[in-house]
Amino acid sequence: MTVDFALVAFVVLSAIEVGAAAMTVSAKKLVHNVFWLAITLITIAGIYILFLAEFIAWIQIIVYAGAVPVLFLFGIMLTRRKIMEEPHESE
Amino acid sequence: MSGALIDLWGWSHALAQFSLWLGSLPLEAGNWVALQTGAAAPGPLTGLIGFITGEGLTNFVAVIVAINILLLWATLLHLLIVMWIERKMYSRLQDRRGIMLGLGSSDFLRRILGPIPLIGRPFRRPSHLGTGFLQTVADGVKLFQKEVITPTNADKWMFHVAPVMIASSTLFLFVAIPWSDGFWLMGSMDKGVPVNPWGILVILGAFSIAPLGILIAGWASNNKYTLLGGMRAAAQLMSYEIPLVLSIIALVVLSGSLDPFELVRQQSVPLTYALGPFGRVTVPFLPNWYIFNPVLWIAFVVLFITVIAEAERIPFDIPEAEAELVEGWTTEYSGMRFGLVFGFKWLRAIAGAALIAILFLGGWSGPVFATVWAPNLAAPGTLYGIPLLPQEFWFTLKIYVIFVVFVWIGWSVPRIRIDQILNLGWKQLIPLSIFNILLATLARGFGWF
Repeated sequence: MTVDFALVAFVVLSAIEVGAAAMTVSAKKLVHNVFWLAITLITIAGIYILFLAEFIAWIQIIVYAGAVPVLFLFGIMLTRRKIMEEPHESE
Repeated sequence: MSGALIDLWGWSHALAQFSLWLGSLPLEAGNWVALQTGAAAPGPLTGLIGFITGEGLTNFVAVIVAINILLLWATLLHLLIVMWIERKMYSRLQDRRGIMLGLGSSDFLRRILGPIPLIGRPFRRPSHLGTGFLQTVADGVKLFQKEVITPTNADKWMFHVAPVMIASSTLFLFVAIPWSDGFWLMGSMDKGVPVNPWGILVILGAFSIAPLGILIAGWASNNKYTLLGGMRAAAQLMSYEIPLVLSIIALVVLSGSLDPFELVRQQSVPLTYALGPFGRVTVPFLPNWYIFNPVLWIAFVVLFITVIAEAERIPFDIPEAEAELVEGWTTEYSGMRFGLVFGFKWLRAIAGAALIAILFLGGWSGPVFATVWAPNLAAPGTLYGIPLLPQEFWFTLKIYVIFVVFVWIGWSVPRIRIDQILNLGWKQLIPLSIFNILLATLARGFGWF
């Protein structure tokens, strides 16, 4: 019995990536979307490594995953947050 | 074995083989019992034994063992030593003795070992002369015992994901940092020498993931101080990543390699300047470190400042300015989660110092002086060379010297404001490093240096 570990890794990474992509468009908070986007981009880098394209993989992490914090900042700045508000629910 | 003490992959393969052999011993015993009671010739468990001691599982276990050796080496050994150096040294800079809880000052050991005539002597010393090394261990144990508190209004899920992201991206740095010709995790052997063509890129990629975890930590805690700290950290880390990469580009233009092993090999020869039409000049007694290069010392200065900023050390520690924001983006964390997000800053400082050492200070190259030959246990009849001053020693020494300079700078200058940090990054370091790339390209084009 031989296990094709590359195929296993590919399937796992793809599953994470598709799931994270679905969460990217369906999560309720903008900041969660950005986090899932980062997971998507990092798993794409993992798939590049499986394709033996290491250079593109690291560039993917530096350029795309490294730029996600900028999106994150915009997500914080341009959306309403509950921060510094009192918990106003009727206890 | 040219100067490297530790052969990480060889050792972990041997360890994996040995432990799997130990694990298969009970099965062998069962097999023997089955054979004695009249089972068929190879025994019923032979297939399982073959799988356990087979090549596939051995390689798998060897990978895990190698990763664990490297991470324990980095966190358990160097993290503790570096924290001790920092605490002891800033105490001396402030003219006090600092932490003192050491083996020599422990009450327990003094009572047990103190009365013994010869051995007890170091344990009878007064406690204000203790080394203080055990204080970092004690702090770690204290953090382990503390309760992990999740704030009520925090975004719970992301609050717990953030320390994982910070810790994993910090440990990911150490995957790509080799400690010597034999002590590396990422790379392969090519014509008898280790190569890792994109090693420096991997380190930069790991540095670029950190701001995301810090921002998530600051945002998810739902606290104005953590949010401010996280925003400051993101602004600072993202703007200092640009000069970090640009200064390395200048070095890559001149050296023509992103491979840490190749960069160190280039720097371990005598210092040579190529002077264009005037031939080559060799300077005796000096190694060919890139800090001595007339063009690249600018990149060294830029890289040094950016690494201090990336590690959030003191002139650039506004993300956790404890006078304004309680503890910055780490405020809401407690217990070992605080230990992770706080202690791993030192780990990032070690990684930054290792990056500086590899790129500009010759990495692990250094005089070995003498090699002691011992019988090789793994292959009987051959000898195993143990270098007197191995490459790991030189690399560790360089990292510690750079770290001491970090501490020295950090506790001598005041913290600077956010606008000053951004001005320094965007208006001075980035133009300087672009100018340096221009110089390096010209030097490369005309065949100088």
